[in-house]
Amino acid sequence: MLTPASLMILFVMAVPIGFLIFASVTNYNQRTLFTGAFDFVGLQQYGAILTSPDFWWALVRTIVFTVALLIGTVLIGAGMAHLMTSLPVALRHVVTVVLVLTWAMPNVATSLVWSWLFQPQYGVINWLISQTGIFGDTTSVNWAADPTLAWACVWLLVVWGSVPFTALTLYAAETQVSHDLKEAARLDGASESAVYRVVILPAIAPTLLLITMLSIIWNFNLFNQIWLVTKGGPDGATSTLGVFTYTTAFSGNLQIGAGSAIAVASTIILLALSALYIRMLVRSGEDL
Amino acid sequence: MTTARDTAISRPRRRRRPFPVVSSLIAVLFCIVWAFPIYWMINTAFKPRQEVLSSTPHFIPENPTFDNFVTAITKGHFFVYLQNSVLVVTGAVVLAIVLGLFAAAALSRFRFRGRRTILILILIVQMIPGTALLIPQFLVFNATGLLGTYWGLILAYVASVLPFSIWVMRGFFLAIPIELDEAARIDGASTWQVLTRVLFPLVMPGIVASSVFAFIAAWNDYIFAFTFMKDQAHYTLPVWLNSFTVIIAGEIGTDYGGQMAAATMFAIPVVVFFMIIQRNLITGMSAGAVKG
Repeated sequence: MLTPASLMILFVMAVPIGFLIFASVTNYNQRTLFTGAFDFVGLQQYGAILTSPDFWWALVRTIVFTVALLIGTVLIGAGMAHLMTSLPVALRHVVTVVLVLTWAMPNVATSLVWSWLFQPQYGVINWLISQTGIFGDTTSVNWAADPTLAWACVWLLVVWGSVPFTALTLYAAETQVSHDLKEAARLDGASESAVYRVVILPAIAPTLLLITMLSIIWNFNLFNQIWLVTKGGPDGATSTLGVFTYTTAFSGNLQIGAGSAIAVASTIILLALSALYIRMLVRSGEDL
Repeated sequence: MTTARDTAISRPRRRRRPFPVVSSLIAVLFCIVWAFPIYWMINTAFKPRQEVLSSTPHFIPENPTFDNFVTAITKGHFFVYLQNSVLVVTGAVVLAIVLGLFAAAALSRFRFRGRRTILILILIVQMIPGTALLIPQFLVFNATGLLGTYWGLILAYVASVLPFSIWVMRGFFLAIPIELDEAARIDGASTWQVLTRVLFPLVMPGIVASSVFAFIAAWNDYIFAFTFMKDQAHYTLPVWLNSFTVIIAGEIGTDYGGQMAAATMFAIPVVVFFMIIQRNLITGMSAGAVKG
């Protein structure tokens, strides 16, 4: 019964991954696609990327961005989850509906909405910032053209999109925390922040850990949002490993060999990062 | 009332907390900020061009119009792309779910050598970055003549959704007590009958949930379709969405009104499906089998 699925995984995943590793030791490029001719170059592609500052910068950007997104998502998500526990029922329903709605939005659509929100000249965000008068007239600011602003723009998009999952999951975890325990702590004179730190936080820690791991994996692999909003620009400033892999392999003269080497390297880094997560899942995996 | 409160000694008195003014204000602010992008998408979709391209934004369309939807549908080849998307996504979901269903059944019901290894491999392949699969699939499909065909794209989507479909459905299988299989067997059911008559109907919520997850993942793909489909007639909706250019006064620009109308239409099925599993996941889990 497992055979059909195994054969499928073999054809669509194992064979391609074999091809990927194979391609990473060749100089496969545009020419090869037409003529089929390529040479083995051994580990030359790996040597080239390890000495290329572009690769290291892409790696640094990926890590910094992954961490920045993680912090933003978890802080806002956990804050909202906690806030929801103290809201009147009606308002809590409204918050839940807003969260589910934003969660359900496909990211291709929201990425395009983002470009429109932040559009120079007619974009509503620039207009709103201008109205506050803090930065003067900002209506013509082009977010995608400035490295810092481009990052900020993508950061806001991804945080906006991933807070709902975090907030709803953490809210579900918080509602499982024993009410008596919280009351007991309050009767003992604990402040609200102490109750959160001592009672709630330890109880939701496993969920928090799970979210952290998933966030790291998702953010590390982020592609659509960056590609659709900035295309990795300006001048490669928002090019993470995923974007760097893609542009190396599929633009210019299609350096597929080099792109493959970058893809192999990023896969290894990601697997190392998520080894802990895999172990956790394997342990919790009921009776594997 | 006072007497009622005084006599209710046995019940612990709830400390009445004051109405959470600050929390409520923050929540309202949060809702406005989070709902705004979606509101702005819909709002723009209903605006005529002079209101879309206005230096002072119109927060409510003054002359609401369906023009953007009409343009998006009639200009260009909306129905071709819609058909492509539906074809490719349906193909991928059906294939992944059928294969995944049997794999999940085997992985949850039978003990055999290598089972643990397979499960760990499933978890690992699920984490491989999209671009790391994109490159070699491009090469394999190029070599096998599948590049640029619907089948190529279907297989690419199966690759990205099959692992988690197996994982999700396996969870639903594990939730069904093994006693149920045994009871059916004692009644003389064959393995095939146990699967099709007992287990498959019970994991239906799991099938629905993983179908929807798979649907959303494939429907939302941009980069595989963009990279594999060189013929414009084979593009899917996400690729079409990103190509709303219009020539205004001799300059190429984006037709934001049309694009937002298209994005709204593109998002609707996803939101609807999402709402469906929200309910299904809960009822599916709580409507468990075997009582007593």
